[in-house]
Amino acid sequence: MALWMEAGSEPKTESEVVDLEAISALKQSTAIELKENGNEYVKKGKKHYSDAIDCYTRAISQKALSDAEQSILYCNRAHVNLLLGNYRRALQDAEEAIKLSPTNVKAFYRAVKASMSLSLLAEAKSYCEKGLELSPENEELNKLAGQIDLLKSEQDRRKAEVSKSVTAVKDMISAFEERKIKIGKALYQELTGVKKPTLDKNNILHWPVLLLYAEVMSSDFIEDFCETDMFSTHLDEMFSESSPPLPWDNEHAYTRDALELYYEADSGVRLSKREIFHCLADGTAAANLEKFDIEENDAAEESSSTTVLGGGGMRWIKVNERRRLYDVLKEPNLVVPGIPVFYVVSKKSSFYKEFKSGNWAPPPSSFW
Amino acid sequence: MAAELEELLGFLSSPSPPVKKAAVDIIRDYTGSEDGLQMLGKCCGVLLPSLSRLLAEKKEVSEPAAEALVNLSQNSDLAKKMVDTGVVETAMEILYKENCEITGLLVMLLVNLTQLDAGIDSLLQSGDEKMKGLYIMKLVRSFCTSSSERRGDPFEHVASVLVNISKKEAGRKLLLDPRRGLLKQIIRQFDSVSPLRKKGVSGTIRNCCFEAESQLQNLLLISEFLWPALLLPVAGNKIYSEQDASKMPLELASALSIEREPVADPDIRVQALEAIYLLVLQEAGRRAFWSVNGPRILQVGYEDEGHPKVMEAYEQIGALLLQESSSGD
Repeated sequence: MALWMEAGSEPKTESEVVDLEAISALKQSTAIELKENGNEYVKKGKKHYSDAIDCYTRAISQKALSDAEQSILYCNRAHVNLLLGNYRRALQDAEEAIKLSPTNVKAFYRAVKASMSLSLLAEAKSYCEKGLELSPENEELNKLAGQIDLLKSEQDRRKAEVSKSVTAVKDMISAFEERKIKIGKALYQELTGVKKPTLDKNNILHWPVLLLYAEVMSSDFIEDFCETDMFSTHLDEMFSESSPPLPWDNEHAYTRDALELYYEADSGVRLSKREIFHCLADGTAAANLEKFDIEENDAAEESSSTTVLGGGGMRWIKVNERRRLYDVLKEPNLVVPGIPVFYVVSKKSSFYKEFKSGNWAPPPSSFW
Repeated sequence: MAAELEELLGFLSSPSPPVKKAAVDIIRDYTGSEDGLQMLGKCCGVLLPSLSRLLAEKKEVSEPAAEALVNLSQNSDLAKKMVDTGVVETAMEILYKENCEITGLLVMLLVNLTQLDAGIDSLLQSGDEKMKGLYIMKLVRSFCTSSSERRGDPFEHVASVLVNISKKEAGRKLLLDPRRGLLKQIIRQFDSVSPLRKKGVSGTIRNCCFEAESQLQNLLLISEFLWPALLLPVAGNKIYSEQDASKMPLELASALSIEREPVADPDIRVQALEAIYLLVLQEAGRRAFWSVNGPRILQVGYEDEGHPKVMEAYEQIGALLLQESSSGD
């Protein structure tokens, strides 16, 4: 027979009072029994953890025990939730346990463990300190305090690394903008691997540059082409009297004086700032950032002309080798495909005519 | 005397044009002498605003008013008072009104006012976020689009204004800002026949090179204009050999392969060398200098140099290059 007591209503008869006391006692012993069952389930192992949770939950809902004992129930349930990996629930239970009994050191301990698992290091530290106030010699809490400090400095170190990487990428993007350099999709990563420009301590850009010998689909790579260098400087070095001739150049057409350099006009679509950020951040600490504040360019700044690769009408622009790299890269019709790419041909070679006619088009990078 | 002066100052606001003109002419004449300047300096509180107002009027009155202000502004206390009462802003406003008839004088006034930090700040408009640098951009454009061929070359003295503002970091930063491209425009004026323009450009570049440590890229990214301006004055008189020229970028090679007028002013040569020194202090600056065959140019230029101060400047760079190369650069 369920007896419903309305709030504020008084028991009318002595027998009602007796009945209520009996029910209260019943609830108490039920709760205690459930608690003990829960404890037993926990001892039985993993398979019974959810049963334990169930017991504790039912015990709690009896609302029959004192605050101190209720606190123990929450604390025990927190323990099992920790074992099950339900860290957020464990934290809530531990917090409830603390509320009900602010001297429950074990509850603090559980709160610390749960916070640590949630990477809430500031909260973990706070609970740990409060727990140690109650019980300064507590071995477990002291151990955890040390661990938290370690984790915190690791977290700070990582944050600093990410921040540094983000700044470096943003500086690079700024450098591109100041120099009016347009970046497009990287086309030859199969040949070169992932290569990126660098900024030296004087804020001067250094580019890795790819030279493609169109005639034979072979390539050369300049690791460090400083933007203030002239092309002729690097060509002089590569084709000096003491350097070996190109292995495939049987006709000896590719001598220093016969070389000409070209780039492809409007070779691709410009990447947005966001896309450039992703490319540059790849492989750095900033690689997994989802949110970063990058203001996009005005739509008007975006290049409107794109050319489809292959097909007729390739536009090759000759590079005056006495110009500096930055001077060429800022040409309005030049889009840098990840890193600068220049095509090398020889005036003396029979291939020259075909190349200049615009009928030759570079095959995809897997062919090189 | 004081009463007469007071009366004279009063005539500056007279409704009668011939009276006003006579008064301002007299004042202008006073500013031509030391005694006159001293006397007028005592009543600058009334005098300066009155003269300033007259700048906006017709030439017969604005011209002597401007002349007077130019003379008065050579005194730094009076100049400060002028800056504080907004004369820089007034001058700029009138300068860019249609058919300004006192352009040259107003620019000279700005030269004097920018001898002071406060004057530079006013001209840079440093306090105003939106308008910052607008005055300078206007002046640079006028400087670069007008030429010394025009009668009187009214914007010639902007060269000296630029030297003054580049003494301050804020001024240098503005000139070096790649998005505004001011230094690039200014350097091109180096070829001008006007000695004032030439010297002003040279002095401005030298001052800007003091930012080499933090803004080297803004200097080196205009290399094709910068190196000719710095190296031609100190390249000596000879025509360079094909061998030497082949190691230079085209703009230098072609300039040094022909007969050329030497730069007579030793100050300009010293300034060019000081600027080079500042660039060469930086690693990337050294690299760029070597890449234009700079050391060879200085070597040849030094052979023709006789002026002791200039020779010393050559030697300083030589010593620096030697030091840097021996320390395993």
